[in-house]
Amino acid sequence: MASNAAVPFWRAAGMTYITYSNICANTVRNCLKEPYISEAVAREKVHFSVAKWVDGKPQKPIVRSDDPEE
Amino acid sequence: MAMAALRREGRRFAPMISPNPINSLRSSLAPSEEQAFIGVRSISTQIVRNRMKSVKNIQKITKAMKMVAASKLRAIQVRAENSRGLWQPFTALLGDTPSVDVKKNVIVTISSDKGLCGGINSTSVKTSRALFKLNSGPDKENRYVVLGEKAKAQLIRDSRKDIEITLTELQKNPLNYTQVSVLADEILKNVEYDALRIVFNKFGSVVSFMPTTATILSPEIVEKEAEAGGKIGDLDSYEIEGGETKSEILQNLTEFQFSCVMFNAVLENACSEQGARMSAMDSSSRNAGDMLDRLTLTYNRTRQASITTELIEIISGASALEG
Repeated sequence: MASNAAVPFWRAAGMTYITYSNICANTVRNCLKEPYISEAVAREKVHFSVAKWVDGKPQKPIVRSDDPEE
Repeated sequence: MAMAALRREGRRFAPMISPNPINSLRSSLAPSEEQAFIGVRSISTQIVRNRMKSVKNIQKITKAMKMVAASKLRAIQVRAENSRGLWQPFTALLGDTPSVDVKKNVIVTISSDKGLCGGINSTSVKTSRALFKLNSGPDKENRYVVLGEKAKAQLIRDSRKDIEITLTELQKNPLNYTQVSVLADEILKNVEYDALRIVFNKFGSVVSFMPTTATILSPEIVEKEAEAGGKIGDLDSYEIEGGETKSEILQNLTEFQFSCVMFNAVLENACSEQGARMSAMDSSSRNAGDMLDRLTLTYNRTRQASITTELIEIISGASALEG
């Protein structure tokens, strides 16, 4: 089975199951035809900003975004 | 119209009535006194009129906000209700164990970025604090992961040492699974946990939301609990396909469970936010209406009183001249 061999590989590459399943979902999404593909791509956009805290102080926030930078 | 004309008349009379010759001598000494004398004849309604205008504008704004919240709510409510199907199988399989006693607790507090939505942010912060206290002990470690500006602002005050990560700007685009899963991934990579406790407001109806916690256990804890029996004890009766071990399966499962539960939690919270904003804006436009009514009453009464006074003055002045 292909999935048998694949599982250790993505885990070894430091991915979580979420990342792995997202990549899979993206691949499936890219198999769509127009106009459905642009609809699906536009729907699944990522945008948020993360700030880690060290000793009660926020570090500089990092913005994770699919949108082009303004 | 008549009132304005009368007032102008009154102003023209004013210098004649006030002791002008004396005042002109003293004017260099006390100019403000003279100005105060002119205004004293008729009560100024300017302030009340301005107040009425501003209340009317506020009412317009709150009404518009209510409309916006209502239309957003309708869109998001369907999605939130549909997303409940994502976590229900997980709860059926792994159970929900909010009472589990573990060392490393991570409390994920979900709130909104924007205010003006009633008490939903404070309820989720209160619930998180209660969970924090409940799970704190000598050899235990509790951390906060905060979603949204509002909970961050509240937790900074007393628990800034315990905050691990803050995430904001979630709702720039409409919420979708990809976004939440990337976010869940970000959390999983950066915290060590035995149990993740997600605190959010579950949407009941427009006026009701329940502060809710969902607990997600790490794979090791799940195995330990399964050995101890209980609801998770049934896990061994499932057959595992393929060549993966149980711990691998469990790890994948917990990660996926976390992102699914997060997706539902974020949607439910956004839905409650819009509902709470709608009812908050509804009551504030009603309050603005009440205030406007009271102000209008005061305004009209004062206006009527000043007109009556002026009429009396004119009539009695005329009759004094005739008599």
